[in-house]
Amino acid sequence: MSEDGSVRVDEVDGGAVATATRHFVEALAGADWLRALLLASAAVALALGVTAVLIAISGKNPLVAYAALVRGAVGSIDRIAFALNKSTPYILGGVGVALCFRAKVINIGAEGQIAVGGIAASWVALSTAASSGASVIPAAIAAAALGGAGWAAFAATIRLTRGVHEVLCTLLLNFVGLLLVSEVLHGPMGEPGAGFPQSPLFKRQAWLPNLLAGTDLHIGILIAALAVVACHMLLWRTTFGFRLRLLGASPAAAAYAGVSFPRCAFAVMALAGGLAGVAGGIEVLGVHYRLIEGFSLGFGFNAVAVALLASINPMAVLPAGLFLGFLEAGALAMQREVGVPSSLVFVIEGLTMVFVLCAIGIGIRQQRV
Amino acid sequence: MLEMRGICKRYGLVRANHNIDLTAPPGKIVGLLGENGSGKSTLMKVLFGIVRADAGIITYKGRVLAGHSPRESIAAGIGMIHQHFMLVDAMTVTENIMLGWARAGRWLRPREIAQLIEGGSRTYGLDIDPRAIVGRLPYGKRQRVEIMKAILRGADLLVLDEPTSNLSPPEADRLLEAMRRLREQGRSVIFISHKLNEVLDICDDIVVLRDGEVTGRCAAAGATRAELAHMMVGRDVTTPVNRVRRDPGPEILIVTGLSHTDETGIERLRDVAFSIRSGEILAVAGVDGNGQADLVDAIAGLQRLHHGRVSLAGRDITRWSVQARLAAGLSYIPVDRSGTSIVPGMTVEDNLALREFNRAPLSRWCCLDSARFRALAASGIARFAIRASSPDAPARTLSGGNQQKIVVAREVGRDPKVLIAFQPTWGLDPGATRFVIDQVLALRRAGGAILYISAELDEVLALGDRIAVMYNGRLSEPARREETDRTAVGLMMGGFAPMRRAADAHPA
Repeated sequence: MSEDGSVRVDEVDGGAVATATRHFVEALAGADWLRALLLASAAVALALGVTAVLIAISGKNPLVAYAALVRGAVGSIDRIAFALNKSTPYILGGVGVALCFRAKVINIGAEGQIAVGGIAASWVALSTAASSGASVIPAAIAAAALGGAGWAAFAATIRLTRGVHEVLCTLLLNFVGLLLVSEVLHGPMGEPGAGFPQSPLFKRQAWLPNLLAGTDLHIGILIAALAVVACHMLLWRTTFGFRLRLLGASPAAAAYAGVSFPRCAFAVMALAGGLAGVAGGIEVLGVHYRLIEGFSLGFGFNAVAVALLASINPMAVLPAGLFLGFLEAGALAMQREVGVPSSLVFVIEGLTMVFVLCAIGIGIRQQRV
Repeated sequence: MLEMRGICKRYGLVRANHNIDLTAPPGKIVGLLGENGSGKSTLMKVLFGIVRADAGIITYKGRVLAGHSPRESIAAGIGMIHQHFMLVDAMTVTENIMLGWARAGRWLRPREIAQLIEGGSRTYGLDIDPRAIVGRLPYGKRQRVEIMKAILRGADLLVLDEPTSNLSPPEADRLLEAMRRLREQGRSVIFISHKLNEVLDICDDIVVLRDGEVTGRCAAAGATRAELAHMMVGRDVTTPVNRVRRDPGPEILIVTGLSHTDETGIERLRDVAFSIRSGEILAVAGVDGNGQADLVDAIAGLQRLHHGRVSLAGRDITRWSVQARLAAGLSYIPVDRSGTSIVPGMTVEDNLALREFNRAPLSRWCCLDSARFRALAASGIARFAIRASSPDAPARTLSGGNQQKIVVAREVGRDPKVLIAFQPTWGLDPGATRFVIDQVLALRRAGGAILYISAELDEVLALGDRIAVMYNGRLSEPARREETDRTAVGLMMGGFAPMRRAADAHPA
């Protein structure tokens, strides 16, 4: 415990440390991307090292396990396709979350928004006539975007009219969104006679086209890449992006410049929700071809992780999302082939995230807005 | 008994304290009087051990204090009540007082401490409930909790830094009463203030500081307000401002009947009314916290108004948005540079475009035109001689003076009809101050209507075509510069001299 006065002294010292740190960081900033890459590599190596110990404890050979991991991620065209498909929802969800975080709107509701987007896309896919042709897919994706945006707008409305913090309302609506999937599958959208809560298979024309013949790779990754570029342009080249950056950098300055927090917060939440909704739509239309209970479990939280991993920089969401997608694809294969406990998959993901975030932590504080 | 002898402290080129002597005998209240930046706070920071003096000796109770920390000051029996309280809002009064107090022990005995608090509360008339949650207490009571904390920790010398500046009059009276009781108990009190009446009312001895030096020292009994005001604000401005007489044009900004009560129920603005003509500067003097911030926010559109009207060039803008006012030609230089008028993390370029980024020519169809951004930055940097390593450098890498140049370039560079300048020279060195003032005068020549608010009396007297004083939410009837003088304005700043209500002379 400190006497009240000593707080002042700490502040003085803290100022000196902060100045020293800033000089240090500025000295390093010359080789910006190189440094980031080195730090990230070190973090990944550290995470793999710690996990290796855990794998060894569980009685498996870490080298064999890691060989399986690499094979599982990039061992064949099929594996790469699988990993790219896995990355898609993380990128789409993550880029929206990154925009929200830019404006200091802490939207952690991608999970629920993805789920509702999936429901909306499934509803369109199931209810359109077989004769409707190729227009089903755009319609279903649009419905997914609307569903996700609506779900986020719901949370934003609670935040802006009732003053409930957005962390709370987006988080809680996640559970509602996930349970809504179960609800519709046990009711109106469920497949009669199926032993598992799932919808009937979509008609063929509602299936997302493949990007690469002979693999499962669908066009989702292209949509995700487009969304990343669009969000990058939005943030740095438009007045809306300027408003978001201003709000995030200083609410007082934003008010001084006449930027309305409620309007911007609502818009960015709806936008992020729409992107997450599209992620959900792509998942049901491109991977499962039907709505399945729990199809989006954990996607939203990974999206938040990806946004943070990318230092809430839209462009960096692409590599960050790919990294997580490939890591997960590899880890799943490792579990299957080597038989390491399934929990280790989450351990390796979690540790890598934590170490990488530690490594780039300084960068987040120094970034340009 | 505290004795400070020959205290000197420099911050770079600025002489914050020069050869200052101060004694605080037991059972006396010493008033430390001076304008903002006169060195009062620095002297007290030296006393409390927050900063080290360059020279000088402090003795307290016969012991020399040197190189001491705030913790040692508290142990020695010095208590300091800062303007920003060091209290935990979520805790009760008792818990706050136990926090970090060695005597409270490892096993906390809240009941005993609560009894101590109640006893002390009676002795000093502090009216504190030990069980109350600090966050729910009004400002005045939190301050008294701080005083209680200091007393219980054995402070025989209490330093109160501008304690009444955020208090309503009844709360201020109560605080002054508590200070008298402290004196009766044989404790010493150092009372820092720039309110003349309070200082005269309560102090035994008065020490006046100006520009880091003692300019006056007297017993309160024989002193007059005019004397103190003169000692406090001192000589005429050293750099005569070059002014051209010109006949003001039509009334551009008209404000009538502005009143505002904040969430805590304190009346911040009371029926403020004035008008400014084209080519005229209305300079408003006043101690910080007398409603100036609310006034400028109301005019700039940052605060919704419930009572009153603002009109600009004949149009009622009372309900207009910030952006609409801006477009109508209203510029605003706020007092807070880091975080309001300047975004430290954004580039110089973005900061220059901060308020007009969403209008042509800077953007079209909601897209920023980066070429126009660059052109704007280049012209602003050249015209106002902003020293930045590049237009892409974050604004935080610039000096305060250059940051303010960005603000001036943005707000004055657009040739506004009306400029609200709220302490635009605050914290600037003389060169940058001069630059800002010259730009304001240039705007006046070009026909702008300017509301210039400052706590620096010299600036107000040098710049204003008409001069008014804000005190306790009221604005005095603006007087022409020829018809007023330093003493009259100084007295009004201290809450003396009857403030005519603006509404009486200006029927709405």
